[in-house]
Amino acid sequence: MVTSLLERELKRGSTEVLILALLDERQRHGYEISQLIEERSNGTITFHTASLYPTLYRLEDKGLIEGRWVERAGQRRRRYYRLTRGGRKALAKQRSTWDTFFLALDRVAGIRHA
Amino acid sequence: MPDWTPRLRRAFEANGHACDADVLDELSTHAAAAYDALRADGSNANEAERRVDDLITMWVRDGAALRRRPKGASAIPPPSDDRGLFVGLLQDLRYGIRLLRRQPRFAAVAMLTMALGIGATTALFSVTYGVLLKPLSWPDPDRLVRVTETRTGHEPRVRGTMSNGPYHTWTADHSTIEAIGGWLRQPSSTIAMADGEPTAVATSAVTPSLFTVLKARPLLGRLFVDGDQPTGAAPDVTRVIILSYGLWQERFGGTEDAIGRVVRLDGKSGMVVGVMPSDFVFPDRETRAWTPWVPPAVLGDGVLRMTIFSALARLRPGITSEQATAEGTARARGAPDPGLTAVALFGGNGPAEIRAIPAVELMTADVRPALLVLLAAVALLLVTATANVASLQLARATARRREMAIRAAIGAGTARLTRQLVAESAIVGAGGGLAGMALTIALHRALPSLLPADFPRMDAVAVDSRVLLFAVSLSIAASVACGLLPAWYARRVDLVGSLSEDGSAPIGGGLRTSTGRARTLIMVGQLAVSCVLLVGAALLVRSFVALMHADRGYDPTNVLTARLSFPADYSMERRTALLEHIVDRLRPLPGVREAAYGNALPLLTSGGFRGFKMRPPINPSIEVEANVMERVVSPGYFGALGLRVTAGRPVKDTDTLTSPQVIVVNRSFAAKYLGTHPIGTAVPNLGMCRGDHDRWDVVGVVNDMRQESVTDRPQPELFLPARQVGCTSALSQAVVVVRTSGDPPPYAATVRSVVHEQEPSLAVDSVMTMEDRVMNALAKPRLYAVVLAGFAGFAVVIAAVGLFGVLSYSVAQRTREFGVRAALGAQAHDIVGLVMRQALWTVGIGLLLGLLGALAGTRLLSTFLYGVSPHDALTFVAVPIILVAVAVIASLVPARRAAKVDPLAAIRAA
Repeated sequence: MVTSLLERELKRGSTEVLILALLDERQRHGYEISQLIEERSNGTITFHTASLYPTLYRLEDKGLIEGRWVERAGQRRRRYYRLTRGGRKALAKQRSTWDTFFLALDRVAGIRHA
Repeated sequence: MPDWTPRLRRAFEANGHACDADVLDELSTHAAAAYDALRADGSNANEAERRVDDLITMWVRDGAALRRRPKGASAIPPPSDDRGLFVGLLQDLRYGIRLLRRQPRFAAVAMLTMALGIGATTALFSVTYGVLLKPLSWPDPDRLVRVTETRTGHEPRVRGTMSNGPYHTWTADHSTIEAIGGWLRQPSSTIAMADGEPTAVATSAVTPSLFTVLKARPLLGRLFVDGDQPTGAAPDVTRVIILSYGLWQERFGGTEDAIGRVVRLDGKSGMVVGVMPSDFVFPDRETRAWTPWVPPAVLGDGVLRMTIFSALARLRPGITSEQATAEGTARARGAPDPGLTAVALFGGNGPAEIRAIPAVELMTADVRPALLVLLAAVALLLVTATANVASLQLARATARRREMAIRAAIGAGTARLTRQLVAESAIVGAGGGLAGMALTIALHRALPSLLPADFPRMDAVAVDSRVLLFAVSLSIAASVACGLLPAWYARRVDLVGSLSEDGSAPIGGGLRTSTGRARTLIMVGQLAVSCVLLVGAALLVRSFVALMHADRGYDPTNVLTARLSFPADYSMERRTALLEHIVDRLRPLPGVREAAYGNALPLLTSGGFRGFKMRPPINPSIEVEANVMERVVSPGYFGALGLRVTAGRPVKDTDTLTSPQVIVVNRSFAAKYLGTHPIGTAVPNLGMCRGDHDRWDVVGVVNDMRQESVTDRPQPELFLPARQVGCTSALSQAVVVVRTSGDPPPYAATVRSVVHEQEPSLAVDSVMTMEDRVMNALAKPRLYAVVLAGFAGFAVVIAAVGLFGVLSYSVAQRTREFGVRAALGAQAHDIVGLVMRQALWTVGIGLLLGLLGALAGTRLLSTFLYGVSPHDALTFVAVPIILVAVAVIASLVPARRAAKVDPLAAIRAA
């Protein structure tokens, strides 16, 4: 029970940081985000696509990202998301937290991250 | 390719989720992209469709999380937010109007107070603005300066004039001014069509250069040019004339062939050469025609001539009036010395000093301080009126505490409540402002009859856009001021307290609540302002009464006076004979006690000035320069005017050309030049066209007479018997003085008809009682006293109504307290005393502040006061007594109401 809760929080936190990191590069739409997460982790992080949109909406609510509809010639109308100033700050904080976490794991359990 | 949106919507609805269209759109684009990617990877249509359906199923399972929350939404969105500020404001205004209609008495009192405050302030502003600030209607008016002349260390006899010497030297050589023009007002000319009856009109003799100075253009014909003026020995012959628009319309029906026509002006022919436009008003509204004139040279025909007249100059661009003053003074000192005449006209023969004064400044100099003081007074009044409305609003705000609390509880913010309250005051302000403007317009209609005829620049006073803008700004400022105070208290509304308490105020009422304190403070301020205004008004009224009853040296009651103007070609014999006939016809009439004539009358015409050298009998070794006012009078003149002979005898019937030359002097002359025993002394050198017989024996002394204002110092005067004077100029104008035993006005027609019988072409004007002349001369002090008294009365009414309101409210709030007190044995007089003490404390503090303010403020009034000190003890004692009496009356009704509180009912009701 405790493990599953931790797993869920970890996963939730990691999903958020993944999305923020992807949007740090440039603005993207939902489908692109889901594809990139799958591709870049070589399928290791197979998160439910179901949780993508709730996460996006939650981040939007918190003011970390903002979405807007963009229409391009010959393309479907798509909703693009980009980082807000708050989002950029939150990402920097998350990154340092994860760094500290991995450092601790390394010292305690000899687990290294790339 | 399938359309995913309906499929998504159905899937969500089937699972009891209602998705936003926005979210559905986004998921639909995702589904389409996934389908496309699957097809591109080689899946067949069915396979791809199935995989996307799986995706949809996944989304639907977490459907509840697929919702975007609107940013910053409040739990209960206020209704007006999505409809904009303006709609909300309209709603506030509608609500405000509904509330005011439910309280018509409050609305009426508030709007009326505002209307009177705004109306009075706007009217006074319009007068002040029009008279003091509005530029003159001539082109480049700021370059117009009035030129005046004085002698170092002396006051001129006639202020605001210059003389011919400096005029000519400056005209000949000037660099700071473009031109200088002069004029002489002739208040009683007669004008007649070729064969018509003469009528009296006011004309002005003007130099041709005056039109250049004014940059005026004629409507028809031409202006004067050099050479138009009569020259040489016949200075009274008019050759050309310019008509005013009004006279042209009246006499020539506005036809263009008026140019070139001949009229008779003062019995002489004059050709109309021009007509001025209707807006050409110079020097005043009464002047209806202009004749050409040039001041005489000082040294002409071997005679020294000195004339004084009004003058106007136009500064060159960039030149200041100080520079013009310096140049004018330098030129004046180069003018020929007019000798003793300067002593007579300017009080001394020292170096001449010219001053160039901005034209508006000189025109308005004598009303400027009064207007500014009245403006300050009306500002105080407006503040009081506004404060009164604010106080009423505060009382309403307290009664509406629950309403405000409920509105706050269901989500109205401070800004929203403030807007509501300010909107309500704005309605009061707008209503009051509109009524105030109507009042201003009504006052404007009445202004010509309210203001003295000689009030300067009345034609510049108008209700124009600037005045209306002022009224509107005033209304807005007053409304906001009235609305913000209650809003300030509403801001601090205590939700729980307001909603749970039973609505009655704590014991002690008034001062225990913050709004009560605010209203009491306002009350104190109102009483202080009333006190200041009342003290000011009382001082002005006392001063006016003192002026009315001041000893002017003559007795103005039951005296009828009239002025006659003679054509220039009437000889002195003809003039005196005519006048003798007129007074002989008047004397025997029933009710006439005395009739006489002369060439001077206080408040109308001053006769002549004369300077001469004499050796005073008290010290014959030195020769002094005497400067005197010279009057020519008939026997009976002193009696008719009520001028007391203090020594010797008056002018008699026996003083004729064949009898010894005699003279009557006034006490000032006697004291200054003749010593303590004037009778029997003589005055030499008077001329008076009597050839070598230049010695005048002093036979009588009369009281000093005040010519214009009672504040003027009495001047040395000489009275010569008319029958002993040979010069026509001494009687160019005559006044007839009739003392009656009853009310004089009925004799006016008699005087006119007697004059007409004697000489039908003689114009009679200014037929007035002497009392009316005195009252006319006091028109300004009377006006200031009446206006300030009006303001004070209004302020006192506001203060009384305010005090009544504050006390009634406090009594209503303390009903339960009074009930308890009565139940515990307090008698009616105890409770009345309680309320009265509260009132008197407020009044006491207000009066103290008011008296301090009045002590400081009445110094501003000191220049307007006559016969009363600015710190007049009687006024400073009477005003507080009056205000306390008013306060007691205003407090009695609420106090009696408090005393009548039924203990049982009061406690039960609570």
